[in-house]
Order: sequence, then C-alpha cells, then structure tokens
Amino acid sequence: MVGSPVLLIAIPLLAAFIIPLAGMIWKELVRIIPGLVLAYMLILSATLLAEVTQNGTIVETIAGWRAPWGINLVYSPLTGFLATLMTLLGFLVWLFSYRFKRNVDFEPAKKYFIFLMMLIAGAVGIVITGDIFNQFVFIEITGISAYALTAFYTGRNSAEAAFKYLMMGALASSFLLLAIAIIYSQLGTLNMADIAVRMHEMDPTYKVIALIFFITGIGIEAEIFPLNGWAPDAYTEAPGPIGAAFAGVAVKAGIYAVIRMVFTLFDIPAAHDFLITIGLITLIIAETTALKQEKLKRMLAYSSIGQMGLVLVAFGIGTAEGVFAALFLMLNHAVIKPLLFFSGSYLLFNSKDKQITEVDGLGKHMPYTAALFTLGSFAIVGLPPFAGFWSKLSVLTAAADEGLLLIIALILIVSVVEIVYYFRVVNRIFFQEYSKEKSVVPHQPRLNAIIAMSILAALILVIGFYPDAVTGILHNASSDLLDKGAYINDVLQTGQSLTH
Amino acid sequence: MDEQMLKILEYSIYGASVLLILVGLYAVLTKKSLIKIVIGLSIIDGGIHLLLIAIGYLKGGTAPIFSPGFEEATAKMVDPVPQALVLTAIVIGFGVTAVALSLVIRLYRHHRTLQIDEIKSLKW
Repeated sequence: MVGSPVLLIAIPLLAAFIIPLAGMIWKELVRIIPGLVLAYMLILSATLLAEVTQNGTIVETIAGWRAPWGINLVYSPLTGFLATLMTLLGFLVWLFSYRFKRNVDFEPAKKYFIFLMMLIAGAVGIVITGDIFNQFVFIEITGISAYALTAFYTGRNSAEAAFKYLMMGALASSFLLLAIAIIYSQLGTLNMADIAVRMHEMDPTYKVIALIFFITGIGIEAEIFPLNGWAPDAYTEAPGPIGAAFAGVAVKAGIYAVIRMVFTLFDIPAAHDFLITIGLITLIIAETTALKQEKLKRMLAYSSIGQMGLVLVAFGIGTAEGVFAALFLMLNHAVIKPLLFFSGSYLLFNSKDKQITEVDGLGKHMPYTAALFTLGSFAIVGLPPFAGFWSKLSVLTAAADEGLLLIIALILIVSVVEIVYYFRVVNRIFFQEYSKEKSVVPHQPRLNAIIAMSILAALILVIGFYPDAVTGILHNASSDLLDKGAYINDVLQTGQSLTH
Repeated sequence: MDEQMLKILEYSIYGASVLLILVGLYAVLTKKSLIKIVIGLSIIDGGIHLLLIAIGYLKGGTAPIFSPGFEEATAKMVDPVPQALVLTAIVIGFGVTAVALSLVIRLYRHHRTLQIDEIKSLKW
C-alpha cells in the first residue's frame, strides 16, 4: 500500500505552504513541486482505487474518533473514481501550464500553483470526506482558491468576474451552513452515514428546507441553472488552464456533493424529479445561450453548464443505468472540455478580445492545435466513434428504459444546437481564409502543452474505440452510489477501516 | 430569572439570528456600494453563527470539560460541537471577507468607483 486517503488532502495542502519557501531556494522549484505532488497523488489515488475495487471501501478515521463522532474519509469505488479523475486532470493542468505564458514570471507563477494545489486539495476533500461540516470546509477551500484564480490576470474584468463569483459563493456557503445548522439541530450528528440512518426521524418540513438550502449552497459549484451566473464570466476571465480545472475538477466536486445529498442523505423521492427538471432547464437555457456567444471561452463555459445539466438529468433518472450514464458523462466531460480549453487558449493566444471570428483560417497555421480542437468538438457533441458518443447513447437508453420520451426528444434537439455552435467554430478554423487584419497571429504551443493535449486526445480516442476500458470502473461506481446500505455499514461498522 | 424569562430569552436569540440574516441579505441584494455588500455578507455569517450557538445552548450548562469529581456534570454540559463549528466558520468567514476586500481594492483601482452599477462591464 502506497499510502492512505488522507494523504490526498494533506500532501497538496502541505505543498501549497512549501511552494513559496522552496521558491526562495530555487525559483524553478515553484513549478516543479506541484508536478511531483500531483504525480504522486495520481499514483496514490489510482492504486487505492484498484484496491477498493478488489477489497471493498476504505474508511479512514481521523485522530482516532470513530465514525459517528469524529471525521472520517470514505474511499469507495465512486469517490475513488472521482478522486482519480480529479488528480489526473490536476496533473494535466499542471503539465499544460508549466510554462503557460512567457510573461507569467516567478511571482504570479507562485500564486498560481499555490491556488491550484488548494483547489485540487479542496475538490478531492469534498469527494472523499464523510462529514457534512468537513465537506463545507472543503467547499470553502475550493471556493476561495477559485475566486483567487479567477482574478489571476490583473486586467480590469478579472476582478469583476471574481467578485461576482465570490458574492454568489459566499451567499451560497451561508445557505450551506444554515442547512448544516438545521440538520444538526434536528439530528445532533454531522456524519453523513449517521444522518442517512436517522433521516426518517426528521420532520419532513425541516427535511425539505434543509435539502433546498443544501442544493442552493452547492449548486453554485455545480453550475445549476439559476445559480450559474458567475460561470461564464469566471471562465472567460480566468486563465485558459484554470477554465479546464473548473470544468474538470471543481464542477465535478459540486455535482458529487449534490448527488450524495440526494441519493444517500435525504430519502425524498421527489428530489429525483427535481433533478430532472432543474437539469433540463439548465441544459436548454445554457445551450441556447451558447449559440449566440461571440467569445470562444464564453461559449465553452455555457457548453460546460449545459453538459452539467445533462449529467443532472441522467442522475435524476435514478436507475442503475441512469447513474452509470451520468458518471460516464462526467468522465467524458472531464476529459473533453479541458482539451477544448487547452487548445482554444492556444488558438486565441495572441488575441485581446478572444472573439470566435478571430480563429479564421488558423487550421493552416496551427494544424495540430486546430485538429485537437476539432477532435474535442466532435467528441463533445457525441459523434461516433469518439468518447462523447457512448455517454450520450447511454443517457438516451437509460431514459428510453424509463419511457421518458420527452427527455429524449429534448436532449436530441439540444444536441443539434450543440453541433451548430461547435461546428461554426470548426468551420471558421478550416474553411475560412486567413486574413491579416481579422485573424489572430498564430502562436505555436510549447512542448509540455502539446504533451498534455495529446494525452487528453489519446484518452478520448481510447474511450471512443474501447469503451469497455472504463465501463467496469463506472459500473462499480454507480452500484456504489445506489447501495446506500453498504455505505452506511462501511462507515458505521468496520469495513476495511484504518485508524491512526 | 424564572422559566418564563428564559423562554423569552431563548426565542429572542433565535429571532435575533434570523433578523441578522435578513438584514445581511437586504444589504447584499439592495446596496450599490461594494463595501456595503461585503459588510452584508459578514452580517449574514454573524447571524448564522448566532443560530448555531443558540442550538448548542443549555440552560445553566457548564463548560464541556471532563474532570475528576465532576462526572455527574455530563448532563449539564453544553454541546461543544456547535462551538467548534462556529470557530471554524468564523475563520472561513474571515478568509472570504479578506479575499472580497482585496478584490474590492483592485476594482477600485481600475474603475475609481465603488458603485456596483458603474462597473458592470460583464453581463449575462
């Protein structure tokens, strides 16, 4: 065994403190340490995932206080899958941004990597913790580092986008704290498994109020419709790789928190219909808004919101197939959207306004980056044989099994909209003439960025051609989410427990 | 103090926390000055902290410290968990306020104003 789950949180937080100190010794260490830490986390999370798939959930008790009293970490097939995905994305974001822009020198780079480590520590913490207050703390860690990263460039709009994000985030976290206060006053416990056992003791009115406060609180991170006003601005103003980290890491953690509440903690059947409704609204509004965007990153942001809506719809279906489809979508979105952000940020590297019209004719000048962007576009709209096809297909079959024909029709219509706005960009890249006045000056990507993008492209092709490579993990994860009894047993009794 | 007074006191604490939350929400939603919005966020936090403390309150309770000779005092101890939560939440609130104020400073440097309706250059 290479380590225990707590290291997945402790090591990046420690690294965040060490980075500025190490920078005093040798400036390059600021860029190297995050990579080493993330590589270690990736190996650790993948090894632990292989182990929990074989031997069952690992429940780690912190500081010797057993389950209902102390804080515990739960590393199950589901949380392990998400933690591995996040550390993989974190590693690729690091690889891509190792030398992102030549004008990013030592001082900004230091801040950038500190906050990146905190963002990933927080997101992994949200996923593997088994305690709602602990989860609140991790949501705040993720939030604060996300606000700071949004304001990374000192241009005028980034601070505004960050302030908008912070205002919504701070309000949301107040609601989250209120929900925790309600649950604690009713049940006297903060442990998720213990809450799940005793939820029936709670007054139904309080239960619904608490769930609403919870979803309002976490919906900010998960980009659920009325709460996602921050997302387009933050994605546009943040550096390109941070957009990828938001889409691949922070949002996934938010979605996980929502579904953990709905599936495990609160046994309210109507919550599934609520997920479907809110997911469909999010999907339709985001995709139609994406259609009229003129800035590339804004378009990608709306597309990201729309995909999260689709994930919520798939979770809302609630069957094993629906959950499987939702997790598959999350995996694909986490692989494809970062590729689009990475290649998109290089396509518009020298541009000031990041307008879509500026990509005209770049296919001739930056063939590899343009090809990767096209691959990402094809994959995300769900063309076979790329990764996105299988996840969309499994959402549709899951909906068809439940006879939800209206949902199928809506998803297909929205897919057409998606195809239109992605292919509009691809068309401009390849079939418009390059013009000196209108188009942006091409900028060739650095080697580390090419490697990071190629890894993502390879993953898209592997998942596309051999979906069986990942379906096993996804099936384990989905049965783990649906088996509430096993979760409670693992946490409250023995399981494969680790005690310090 | 008789029972009646204690009951009134208890309700007034809950009432005060709800009132604080509403005052803070009012400030966040209606005020135009960035500083006032940040103050509003802090007031909401304060209200929620008061609510959490009120949940853990026990009439005539003692500090939750185990010591020899006071074993029978366990029933009279106040619940320590809400206090720990509030301490953590205060620290988090401090962090968020600090980040918010630093963003306000940067916005002020660029726009030379703190009125939120004069700096909206990003839109939905």
